[in-house]
Amino acid sequence: MTVAGDTMVSLEYSEAELMTVLMSREVRDGEVSACGALSQIPATGLLLAKELHAPNAELIILNTVFRPFHTSRQFHFLAQRGELGLFFVSGVQIDGHGNYNLHQIGADPERPEVRFPGGYGGGMIYYCARRTVVFRTEHTRRSLVERVDFISAAGSSPDYVLRLGNPSKVITPKANFRFDKDAARLRLDSIHPSYTLDEIRENTGFDLGVTGPVAATPAPTAGELRALRSVVRPKMIETGTYAAWAERSIASA
Amino acid sequence: MGVPYVPVLGLVGTDLLTRRDDMVLAPDPFDGKTVSVVAKAMRPDVAVFHVDKADRHGNVSCGYPVEAVILAEASRHVIVTAEEIVDRLDEKDATGTFVPSILVDAVVHAPFGSHPAGMTGRYAPDKVHMEQYVAASRSDAAFAEYLKTYVFDVGSHAEYVERFVPREWQQPLTEVIR
Repeated sequence: MTVAGDTMVSLEYSEAELMTVLMSREVRDGEVSACGALSQIPATGLLLAKELHAPNAELIILNTVFRPFHTSRQFHFLAQRGELGLFFVSGVQIDGHGNYNLHQIGADPERPEVRFPGGYGGGMIYYCARRTVVFRTEHTRRSLVERVDFISAAGSSPDYVLRLGNPSKVITPKANFRFDKDAARLRLDSIHPSYTLDEIRENTGFDLGVTGPVAATPAPTAGELRALRSVVRPKMIETGTYAAWAERSIASA
Repeated sequence: MGVPYVPVLGLVGTDLLTRRDDMVLAPDPFDGKTVSVVAKAMRPDVAVFHVDKADRHGNVSCGYPVEAVILAEASRHVIVTAEEIVDRLDEKDATGTFVPSILVDAVVHAPFGSHPAGMTGRYAPDKVHMEQYVAASRSDAAFAEYLKTYVFDVGSHAEYVERFVPREWQQPLTEVIR
């Protein structure tokens, strides 16, 4: 299907394009929003938001030209000062308590089956950024679990612990979850087009926390897809910001 | 910084804390209530890092922006390996991070010192070698074999470069200025 506009735009979209658009909607104008290294989808979402509803957002896309400084020391203290409005991060496992795991898989922590990059930054930023959006490109029972094998970043904390911000949402190719801070649980927030509640339940390893009907995620609009394909994609290619990924994963205008 | 420990906002509830003894929970000494993580300062005996250029006094131009200064400040002794030794290097000549000689104890001329990883502005990672490294890291026996071949059975850095750095990368080695 296409709609008329300055240019015709196909309303068909890939999973990567969908997740990019959903992440861009989380960015607020005027805030400092950031993502880490090796984060193609949120990087694209940040750039898209700046073209659409957040022209005054300040972006930090680590290891690209879109960063105000070079050292992780500066990034660390910017986060510690509470100046990050939004941070995007991915985890190998995400659990119903809002914890994520970026360290290792396996029941015995001394003898993991697989190890991942791990890191210290995520567990720190989870407390400092006002909102953290966790994403995962795979929505299955092995990635969305009741309890992660290793807590790299903790979803909740006792009241007496100093904390500036919390997990906000989890975004997958099938659904959005929001974090219920009082219950310290993730709850299904909306289901992306073409999926059903049963499919989400079947592919999620934790209780969805819903009783009534669940909202449908608004599909990417013509305006969002047009800006993504005709402005953000060329900009990424020109600036060497995940250029090869952009060429491959975002449709050309 | 030289302080014995430093508070960090975050990390509470992670398994990093259950598995490390250099980060603990402690109350705010001023309000006596609010809890945060306190991390013990790291004080390495020796730091070794590879850079683009260094001079004979130990002034260093890293070649790209990197956290070398905090590493050098934290460590009791600092050894720098460099692609190139130059006669004199000032902060204004530096590319990327500059480390002043007051923080550096020794400079070693080591062209291709990053191999099989890459060196910004000079050479890319050696993908073929990296794949061997990854394959070798899957078992202790294979990794021991890797270390024997590329580390223990190699007599000198010059021999390593001669035998293992791709031939087409090798330029005449710059003479060390004494």
